[in-house]
Amino acid sequence: MKVHDHAIVREVLDGNKDAYGTLVARHSQSVFRVAFRITGDEADADEVVQEAFLRGYQRLQSFELRAGFGTWIYRIAVNCALNMKNRRKVEAKYKVGEENDPALRQVQVADTAAGPERTLLSREIEQMQTAAMESLTAIERTAFVLRHMEDRSTTEIATALEIAPDAAKQAVFRAVQKLRRSLAPLRVNL
Amino acid sequence: MKHWNEEDLIEFYYGESKSSAAIGEHLRGCEECSERYTALSSDLFAIQPPATPFRDADYGAETWEKIRGSVTAYPTARKSRFGWPRLQPWFGFAMAAACLLIIAVSFFAGRRWEHHSVSMDTATAKNGADQGRQRVVLVVLGEHLDRSERLLVELKHAQPSREAPLRDEARDLLSANRLYREDVRQAGEPALTAALDHLERVLTEVANEPAGLSQARLDELQKEMNTDGLLFEVRVLRSRVQGDLENKQNTTATVKGVSI
Ligand SMILES: [Zn+2]
Repeated sequence: MKVHDHAIVREVLDGNKDAYGTLVARHSQSVFRVAFRITGDEADADEVVQEAFLRGYQRLQSFELRAGFGTWIYRIAVNCALNMKNRRKVEAKYKVGEENDPALRQVQVADTAAGPERTLLSREIEQMQTAAMESLTAIERTAFVLRHMEDRSTTEIATALEIAPDAAKQAVFRAVQKLRRSLAPLRVNL
Repeated sequence: MKHWNEEDLIEFYYGESKSSAAIGEHLRGCEECSERYTALSSDLFAIQPPATPFRDADYGAETWEKIRGSVTAYPTARKSRFGWPRLQPWFGFAMAAACLLIIAVSFFAGRRWEHHSVSMDTATAKNGADQGRQRVVLVVLGEHLDRSERLLVELKHAQPSREAPLRDEARDLLSANRLYREDVRQAGEPALTAALDHLERVLTEVANEPAGLSQARLDELQKEMNTDGLLFEVRVLRSRVQGDLENKQNTTATVKGVSI
Protein backbone atom coordinates (compact mmCIF):
# COMPACT_ATOMS: atom_id res chain seq x y z
CA MET A 1 0.00 0.00 0.00
CA LYS A 2 1.18 3.46 -0.85
CA VAL A 3 2.33 5.46 2.16
CA HIS A 4 0.59 8.80 2.34
CA ASP A 5 2.67 11.91 1.59
CA HIS A 6 1.88 13.35 5.00
CA ALA A 7 3.30 10.31 6.73
CA ILE A 8 6.49 10.70 4.72
CA VAL A 9 6.73 14.37 5.62
CA ARG A 10 6.52 13.43 9.29
CA GLU A 11 9.20 10.83 8.81
CA VAL A 12 11.52 13.36 7.17
CA LEU A 13 10.91 15.85 9.96
CA ASP A 14 11.69 13.09 12.38
CA GLY A 15 15.19 12.82 11.01
CA ASN A 16 14.93 10.38 8.12
CA LYS A 17 16.14 12.57 5.29
CA ASP A 18 16.12 9.82 2.69
CA ALA A 19 12.37 9.47 3.01
CA TYR A 20 12.24 12.77 1.16
CA GLY A 21 13.52 10.92 -1.91
CA THR A 22 10.13 9.21 -2.14
CA LEU A 23 8.38 12.58 -2.27
CA VAL A 24 10.80 13.76 -4.95
CA ALA A 25 10.14 10.60 -6.96
CA ARG A 26 6.39 11.01 -6.66
CA HIS A 27 6.15 14.63 -7.66
CA SER A 28 9.15 15.37 -9.87
CA GLN A 29 7.34 14.69 -13.15
CA SER A 30 4.54 17.18 -12.58
CA VAL A 31 6.98 19.71 -11.19
CA PHE A 32 9.19 19.28 -14.25
CA ARG A 33 6.24 19.71 -16.60
CA VAL A 34 5.11 23.01 -15.13
CA ALA A 35 8.72 24.21 -14.83
CA PHE A 36 9.30 23.45 -18.50
CA ARG A 37 6.11 25.18 -19.56
CA ILE A 38 6.99 28.31 -17.64
CA THR A 39 10.69 28.49 -18.45
CA GLY A 40 10.44 27.08 -21.95
CA ASP A 41 13.88 25.55 -21.51
CA GLU A 42 14.77 21.99 -20.64
CA ALA A 43 17.95 22.67 -18.67
CA ASP A 44 16.33 25.55 -16.78
CA ALA A 45 13.39 23.31 -15.95
CA ASP A 46 15.72 20.65 -14.49
CA GLU A 47 17.37 23.32 -12.39
CA VAL A 48 13.99 24.60 -11.20
CA VAL A 49 13.01 21.07 -10.17
CA GLN A 50 16.13 20.75 -8.03
CA GLU A 51 15.72 24.17 -6.53
CA ALA A 52 12.05 23.60 -5.73
CA PHE A 53 12.67 20.32 -3.94
CA LEU A 54 15.64 21.77 -2.11
CA ARG A 55 13.59 24.70 -0.89
CA GLY A 56 10.74 22.36 -0.09
CA TYR A 57 13.05 20.36 2.14
CA GLN A 58 14.34 23.42 3.91
CA ARG A 59 10.86 24.78 4.50
CA LEU A 60 9.29 21.47 5.37
CA GLN A 61 8.56 22.59 8.91
CA SER A 62 6.28 25.28 7.56
CA PHE A 63 4.33 22.75 5.46
CA GLU A 64 0.85 22.47 6.88
CA LEU A 65 -0.78 19.12 6.81
CA ARG A 66 -4.12 20.43 5.63
CA ALA A 67 -2.59 21.03 2.19
CA GLY A 68 -1.39 18.30 -0.11
CA PHE A 69 2.36 18.03 -0.46
CA GLY A 70 1.92 17.92 -4.25
CA THR A 71 0.08 21.24 -4.31
CA TRP A 72 2.56 22.77 -1.95
CA ILE A 73 5.68 21.77 -3.85
CA TYR A 74 3.98 22.72 -7.12
CA ARG A 75 3.54 26.26 -5.81
CA ILE A 76 7.15 26.47 -4.75
CA ALA A 77 8.19 25.26 -8.20
CA VAL A 78 5.99 27.84 -9.93
CA ASN A 79 7.74 30.52 -7.91
CA CYS A 80 11.19 29.20 -8.71
CA ALA A 81 10.28 28.96 -12.39
CA LEU A 82 8.92 32.49 -12.42
CA ASN A 83 12.12 33.78 -10.84
CA MET A 84 14.20 31.84 -13.32
CA LYS A 85 12.18 33.28 -16.21
CA ASN A 86 12.59 36.78 -14.80
CA ARG A 87 16.34 36.32 -14.54
CA ARG A 88 16.52 35.02 -18.08
CA LYS A 89 14.56 38.04 -19.30
CA VAL A 90 16.98 40.38 -17.57
CA GLU A 91 19.96 38.50 -19.00
CA ALA A 92 18.49 38.57 -22.48
CA LYS A 93 18.21 42.31 -22.26
CA TYR A 94 21.94 42.65 -21.75
CA LYS A 95 23.10 39.92 -24.05
CA VAL A 96 22.35 39.56 -27.70
CA GLY A 97 24.73 36.64 -28.18
CA GLU A 98 22.98 33.98 -30.20
CA GLU A 99 23.51 31.15 -27.76
CA ASN A 100 21.74 33.19 -25.11
CA ASP A 101 18.75 34.14 -27.17
CA PRO A 102 15.95 32.40 -25.29
CA ALA A 103 13.71 32.28 -28.33
CA LEU A 104 16.41 30.55 -30.31
CA ARG A 105 17.23 28.12 -27.52
CA GLN A 106 13.59 27.34 -27.15
CA VAL A 107 13.21 26.65 -30.86
CA GLN A 108 16.10 24.20 -30.65
CA VAL A 109 14.48 22.50 -27.70
CA ALA A 110 11.17 22.32 -29.52
CA ASP A 111 12.90 20.81 -32.55
CA THR A 112 14.53 18.02 -30.64
CA ALA A 113 11.35 17.38 -28.70
CA ALA A 114 9.25 17.14 -31.83
CA GLY A 115 8.40 13.63 -32.93
CA PRO A 116 8.71 12.54 -36.58
CA GLU A 117 4.95 12.66 -36.99
CA ARG A 118 4.97 16.41 -36.59
CA THR A 119 4.46 18.12 -39.87
CA LEU A 120 6.38 21.08 -41.14
CA LEU A 121 3.30 23.23 -40.66
CA SER A 122 2.76 22.21 -37.06
CA ARG A 123 6.43 22.91 -36.36
CA GLU A 124 6.03 26.33 -37.88
CA ILE A 125 2.99 27.00 -35.72
CA GLU A 126 4.82 25.78 -32.67
CA GLN A 127 7.73 28.11 -33.39
CA MET A 128 5.40 31.06 -33.79
CA GLN A 129 3.70 30.18 -30.54
CA THR A 130 7.05 29.90 -28.84
CA ALA A 131 8.05 33.34 -30.06
CA ALA A 132 4.68 34.76 -29.03
CA MET A 133 5.04 33.27 -25.56
CA GLU A 134 8.52 34.77 -25.31
CA SER A 135 7.05 38.21 -25.93
CA LEU A 136 5.10 38.01 -22.67
CA THR A 137 6.50 39.22 -19.38
CA ALA A 138 7.49 36.49 -16.95
CA ILE A 139 4.41 37.04 -14.83
CA GLU A 140 2.03 37.10 -17.81
CA ARG A 141 3.59 33.96 -19.18
CA THR A 142 3.39 32.15 -15.87
CA ALA A 143 -0.19 33.20 -15.24
CA PHE A 144 -1.16 32.14 -18.76
CA VAL A 145 0.59 28.78 -18.51
CA LEU A 146 -1.17 28.07 -15.23
CA ARG A 147 -4.57 29.15 -16.53
CA HIS A 148 -4.46 27.80 -20.04
CA MET A 149 -2.16 24.80 -19.93
CA GLU A 150 -2.33 23.70 -16.32
CA ASP A 151 -6.02 24.47 -15.86
CA ARG A 152 -5.55 26.33 -12.59
CA SER A 153 -8.15 28.76 -11.27
CA THR A 154 -7.47 32.46 -10.79
CA THR A 155 -7.40 31.91 -7.04
CA GLU A 156 -4.81 29.17 -7.36
CA ILE A 157 -2.73 31.32 -9.70
CA ALA A 158 -2.88 34.25 -7.30
CA THR A 159 -1.81 32.04 -4.40
CA ALA A 160 1.06 30.49 -6.34
CA LEU A 161 2.33 33.85 -7.57
CA GLU A 162 1.68 35.58 -4.26
CA ILE A 163 -0.33 38.33 -5.93
CA ALA A 164 -3.90 39.58 -5.60
CA PRO A 165 -6.56 37.61 -7.51
CA ASP A 166 -7.34 40.68 -9.58
CA ALA A 167 -3.69 41.04 -10.56
CA ALA A 168 -3.65 37.37 -11.59
CA LYS A 169 -6.75 37.89 -13.68
CA GLN A 170 -5.25 40.96 -15.35
CA ALA A 171 -2.03 39.08 -16.11
CA VAL A 172 -4.04 36.38 -17.89
CA PHE A 173 -6.00 39.00 -19.83
CA ARG A 174 -2.89 40.79 -20.98
CA ALA A 175 -1.28 37.51 -21.98
CA VAL A 176 -4.30 36.45 -24.02
CA GLN A 177 -4.49 39.83 -25.73
CA LYS A 178 -0.80 39.85 -26.62
CA LEU A 179 -0.85 36.25 -27.81
CA ARG A 180 -3.86 36.86 -30.02
CA ARG A 181 -2.14 39.81 -31.61
CA SER A 182 1.10 37.89 -32.17
CA LEU A 183 -0.66 34.84 -33.53
CA ALA A 184 -3.10 36.69 -35.77
CA PRO A 185 -1.13 35.77 -38.93
CA LEU A 186 -1.75 32.10 -38.18
CA ARG A 187 -5.47 32.45 -38.63
CA VAL A 188 -5.16 32.41 -42.43
CA ASN A 189 -3.26 29.13 -42.27
CA LEU A 190 -5.86 27.37 -40.22
CA MET B 1 -28.01 46.22 -25.83
CA LYS B 2 -24.99 45.90 -23.57
CA HIS B 3 -22.30 43.83 -25.21
CA TRP B 4 -19.66 41.87 -23.37
CA ASN B 5 -16.04 42.87 -23.72
CA GLU B 6 -13.01 40.70 -24.40
CA GLU B 7 -12.15 40.34 -20.73
CA ASP B 8 -15.64 39.10 -19.93
CA LEU B 9 -15.40 36.62 -22.75
CA ILE B 10 -11.97 35.39 -21.65
CA GLU B 11 -13.31 34.74 -18.16
CA PHE B 12 -16.28 33.00 -19.69
CA TYR B 13 -14.00 30.83 -21.84
CA TYR B 14 -12.12 29.63 -18.76
CA GLY B 15 -15.35 28.98 -16.90
CA GLU B 16 -14.68 31.64 -14.30
CA SER B 17 -17.25 34.26 -15.12
CA LYS B 18 -19.67 35.23 -12.41
CA SER B 19 -22.13 36.12 -15.18
CA SER B 20 -21.79 32.96 -17.19
CA ALA B 21 -25.53 32.38 -17.47
CA ALA B 22 -26.12 35.91 -18.71
CA ILE B 23 -23.21 35.74 -21.14
CA GLY B 24 -24.36 32.38 -22.48
CA GLU B 25 -27.83 33.76 -22.98
CA HIS B 26 -26.47 36.87 -24.66
CA LEU B 27 -24.20 34.91 -27.00
CA ARG B 28 -27.19 32.94 -28.25
CA GLY B 29 -28.97 36.13 -29.25
CA CYS B 30 -26.17 38.53 -30.27
CA GLU B 31 -24.41 37.85 -33.52
CA GLU B 32 -21.68 40.38 -32.90
CA CYS B 33 -20.61 38.99 -29.52
CA SER B 34 -21.05 35.45 -30.70
CA GLU B 35 -18.64 36.08 -33.60
CA ARG B 36 -16.10 37.67 -31.30
CA TYR B 37 -16.39 34.79 -28.90
CA THR B 38 -15.94 32.21 -31.64
CA ALA B 39 -12.78 34.01 -32.79
CA LEU B 40 -11.46 34.16 -29.24
CA SER B 41 -12.14 30.54 -28.47
CA SER B 42 -10.61 29.30 -31.70
CA ASP B 43 -7.49 31.40 -31.05
CA LEU B 44 -7.19 30.06 -27.54
CA PHE B 45 -7.92 26.52 -28.55
CA ALA B 46 -5.11 26.70 -31.11
CA ILE B 47 -2.57 27.42 -28.39
CA GLN B 48 -1.49 24.00 -27.30
CA PRO B 49 1.21 23.35 -24.73
CA PRO B 50 4.55 22.50 -26.31
CA ALA B 51 5.55 18.86 -26.04
CA THR B 52 7.18 18.34 -22.65
CA PRO B 53 10.57 16.64 -23.02
CA PHE B 54 10.50 13.09 -21.76
CA ARG B 55 11.78 12.29 -18.27
CA ASP B 56 11.91 8.62 -17.44
CA ALA B 57 10.89 6.81 -14.28
CA ASP B 58 14.33 7.36 -12.73
CA TYR B 59 14.07 11.12 -12.99
CA GLY B 60 12.90 11.55 -9.41
CA ALA B 61 15.68 9.36 -8.05
CA GLU B 62 18.27 11.23 -10.13
CA THR B 63 16.95 14.57 -8.90
CA TRP B 64 17.09 13.42 -5.30
CA GLU B 65 20.65 12.18 -5.84
CA LYS B 66 21.64 15.66 -7.03
CA ILE B 67 20.24 17.51 -4.05
CA ARG B 68 20.72 14.86 -1.39
CA GLY B 69 24.21 16.06 -0.51
CA SER B 70 22.94 19.60 -0.02
CA VAL B 71 20.42 18.79 2.67
CA THR B 72 20.94 17.58 6.19
CA ALA B 73 18.62 15.46 8.26
CA TYR B 74 16.22 17.19 10.58
CA PRO B 75 17.17 16.66 14.20
CA THR B 76 15.38 13.60 15.43
CA ALA B 77 12.77 14.12 18.11
CA ARG B 78 13.85 11.02 19.99
CA LYS B 79 16.94 10.71 22.14
CA SER B 80 19.51 8.42 20.67
CA ARG B 81 20.15 5.13 22.42
CA PHE B 82 23.29 6.59 23.98
CA GLY B 83 21.18 9.19 25.67
CA TRP B 84 22.83 12.20 24.07
CA PRO B 85 20.96 15.40 24.69
CA ARG B 86 18.94 16.79 21.79
CA LEU B 87 21.59 19.34 21.05
CA GLN B 88 23.89 16.67 19.74
CA PRO B 89 22.18 15.82 16.44
CA TRP B 90 21.48 19.47 15.86
CA PHE B 91 25.16 20.21 16.24
CA GLY B 92 26.02 17.45 13.80
CA PHE B 93 23.42 18.87 11.47
CA ALA B 94 25.04 22.26 11.56
CA MET B 95 28.48 20.78 11.04
CA ALA B 96 27.36 18.87 7.98
CA ALA B 97 25.51 21.83 6.60
CA ALA B 98 28.64 23.90 6.98
CA CYS B 99 30.18 22.25 3.95
CA LEU B 100 27.26 23.44 1.89
CA LEU B 101 27.30 26.96 3.18
CA ILE B 102 31.06 27.20 2.84
CA ILE B 103 30.50 26.99 -0.88
CA ALA B 104 28.14 29.93 -0.76
CA VAL B 105 30.31 31.92 1.57
CA SER B 106 33.42 31.34 -0.43
CA PHE B 107 31.59 32.99 -3.30
CA PHE B 108 30.67 35.90 -1.22
CA ALA B 109 33.99 36.30 0.46
CA GLY B 110 35.45 35.24 -2.79
CA ARG B 111 35.35 38.55 -4.57
CA ARG B 112 39.10 38.23 -4.33
CA TRP B 113 38.86 35.26 -6.65
CA GLU B 114 37.07 37.06 -9.32
CA HIS B 115 40.22 37.73 -11.31
CA HIS B 116 41.08 34.06 -11.25
CA SER B 117 38.51 33.34 -13.88
CA VAL B 118 40.37 30.37 -15.31
CA SER B 119 37.39 28.17 -14.64
CA MET B 120 35.35 30.14 -17.13
CA ASP B 121 37.62 29.04 -19.96
CA THR B 122 38.25 25.50 -18.86
CA ALA B 123 34.78 24.81 -17.61
CA THR B 124 33.96 21.16 -17.70
CA ALA B 125 30.60 19.51 -17.47
CA LYS B 126 31.28 18.80 -13.78
CA ASN B 127 32.01 22.44 -13.23
CA GLY B 128 28.70 23.25 -14.79
CA ALA B 129 26.88 20.92 -12.44
CA ASP B 130 28.75 22.27 -9.40
CA GLN B 131 27.95 25.78 -10.40
CA GLY B 132 24.34 24.88 -10.83
CA ARG B 133 24.26 23.58 -7.28
CA GLN B 134 26.17 26.54 -5.91
CA ARG B 135 23.76 28.83 -7.67
CA VAL B 136 20.91 27.06 -5.91
CA VAL B 137 22.66 27.61 -2.57
CA LEU B 138 23.06 31.30 -3.27
CA VAL B 139 19.44 31.52 -4.32
CA VAL B 140 18.34 29.92 -1.07
CA LEU B 141 20.52 32.17 1.06
CA GLY B 142 19.41 35.17 -0.95
CA GLU B 143 15.84 34.23 -0.34
CA HIS B 144 16.43 34.01 3.38
CA LEU B 145 17.82 37.54 3.33
CA ASP B 146 14.89 38.68 1.20
CA ARG B 147 12.38 37.35 3.66
CA SER B 148 14.30 38.82 6.55
CA GLU B 149 14.35 42.14 4.81
CA ARG B 150 10.59 42.05 4.28
CA LEU B 151 10.07 41.23 7.94
CA LEU B 152 12.27 44.11 9.05
CA VAL B 153 10.43 46.48 6.72
CA GLU B 154 7.13 45.30 8.17
CA LEU B 155 8.50 45.72 11.63
CA LYS B 156 9.58 49.25 10.79
CA HIS B 157 6.05 50.16 9.76
CA ALA B 158 4.30 47.98 12.31
CA GLN B 159 1.45 49.46 14.27
CA PRO B 160 1.04 48.38 17.86
CA SER B 161 -1.12 45.31 17.84
CA ARG B 162 -2.45 42.70 20.18
CA GLU B 163 -2.08 40.15 17.45
CA ALA B 164 1.24 38.79 16.41
CA PRO B 165 1.24 38.66 12.62
CA LEU B 166 5.03 38.70 12.36
CA ARG B 167 5.58 36.09 15.00
CA ASP B 168 5.11 33.01 12.82
CA GLU B 169 7.31 34.40 10.09
CA ALA B 170 9.96 35.30 12.66
CA ARG B 171 9.88 31.78 14.10
CA ASP B 172 10.19 30.30 10.67
CA LEU B 173 13.12 32.54 9.79
CA LEU B 174 14.75 31.97 13.13
CA SER B 175 15.32 28.26 12.66
CA ALA B 176 16.88 28.81 9.24
CA ASN B 177 18.90 31.74 10.48
CA ARG B 178 20.48 29.73 13.30
CA LEU B 179 21.66 27.22 10.80
CA TYR B 180 23.07 29.80 8.42
CA ARG B 181 24.75 31.77 11.18
CA GLU B 182 26.49 28.71 12.53
CA ASP B 183 27.66 27.66 9.08
CA VAL B 184 28.90 31.10 8.24
CA ARG B 185 30.73 31.35 11.54
CA GLN B 186 32.49 28.08 10.88
CA ALA B 187 33.34 29.24 7.42
CA GLY B 188 35.16 32.20 8.94
CA GLU B 189 33.09 35.13 7.75
CA PRO B 190 33.03 37.46 10.75
CA ALA B 191 31.09 40.33 9.14
CA LEU B 192 28.37 38.06 7.87
CA THR B 193 28.29 36.14 11.15
CA ALA B 194 27.83 39.38 13.07
CA ALA B 195 24.98 40.45 10.82
CA LEU B 196 23.21 37.12 11.10
CA ASP B 197 23.79 37.19 14.82
CA HIS B 198 22.18 40.60 15.06
CA LEU B 199 19.33 39.33 12.93
CA GLU B 200 18.91 36.34 15.19
CA ARG B 201 18.53 38.51 18.28
CA VAL B 202 15.80 40.56 16.63
CA LEU B 203 14.05 37.47 15.30
CA THR B 204 14.16 35.88 18.74
CA GLU B 205 12.50 38.94 20.24
CA VAL B 206 9.75 39.00 17.64
CA ALA B 207 9.27 35.23 17.70
CA ASN B 208 8.82 35.21 21.46
CA GLU B 209 6.36 38.08 21.64
CA PRO B 210 3.30 36.32 23.02
CA ALA B 211 0.63 38.93 22.41
CA GLY B 212 1.72 41.17 19.61
CA LEU B 213 3.90 44.22 19.86
CA SER B 214 3.03 47.29 21.86
CA GLN B 215 4.26 50.71 20.83
CA ALA B 216 6.72 50.67 23.73
CA ARG B 217 8.06 47.31 22.63
CA LEU B 218 8.38 48.51 19.04
CA ASP B 219 10.31 51.58 20.18
CA GLU B 220 12.50 49.42 22.33
CA LEU B 221 13.32 47.09 19.48
CA GLN B 222 14.02 50.04 17.28
CA LYS B 223 16.37 51.66 19.78
CA GLU B 224 18.03 48.81 21.57
CA MET B 225 18.35 46.48 18.69
CA ASN B 226 18.92 49.12 16.04
CA THR B 227 16.56 47.46 13.60
CA ASP B 228 17.08 50.21 11.03
CA GLY B 229 20.79 49.55 11.03
CA LEU B 230 20.09 45.85 10.67
CA LEU B 231 17.79 46.47 7.74
CA PHE B 232 20.58 48.32 6.02
CA GLU B 233 23.06 45.51 6.73
CA VAL B 234 20.67 42.90 5.38
CA ARG B 235 20.16 44.92 2.21
CA VAL B 236 23.89 45.19 1.67
CA LEU B 237 24.32 41.45 2.17
CA ARG B 238 21.40 40.77 -0.12
CA SER B 239 22.95 42.77 -2.90
CA ARG B 240 26.26 40.98 -2.43
CA VAL B 241 24.54 37.63 -2.75
CA GLN B 242 22.69 38.93 -5.78
CA GLY B 243 25.96 40.10 -7.31
CA ASP B 244 27.56 36.71 -6.77
CA LEU B 245 24.51 35.05 -8.15
CA GLU B 246 24.67 37.14 -11.29
CA ASN B 247 28.35 36.32 -11.76
CA LYS B 248 27.42 32.70 -11.30
CA GLN B 249 24.66 33.02 -13.80
CA ASN B 250 26.97 34.49 -16.40
CA THR B 251 29.38 31.64 -15.93
CA THR B 252 26.60 29.09 -16.12
CA ALA B 253 25.24 30.76 -19.23
CA THR B 254 28.65 30.50 -20.84
CA VAL B 255 28.97 26.86 -19.97
CA LYS B 256 25.49 26.21 -21.28
CA GLY B 257 26.10 28.13 -24.44
CA VAL B 258 28.97 25.83 -25.27
CA SER B 259 27.08 22.67 -24.54
CA ILE B 260 24.08 23.48 -26.72
ZN1 LIG C 1 -23.47 41.41 -27.91
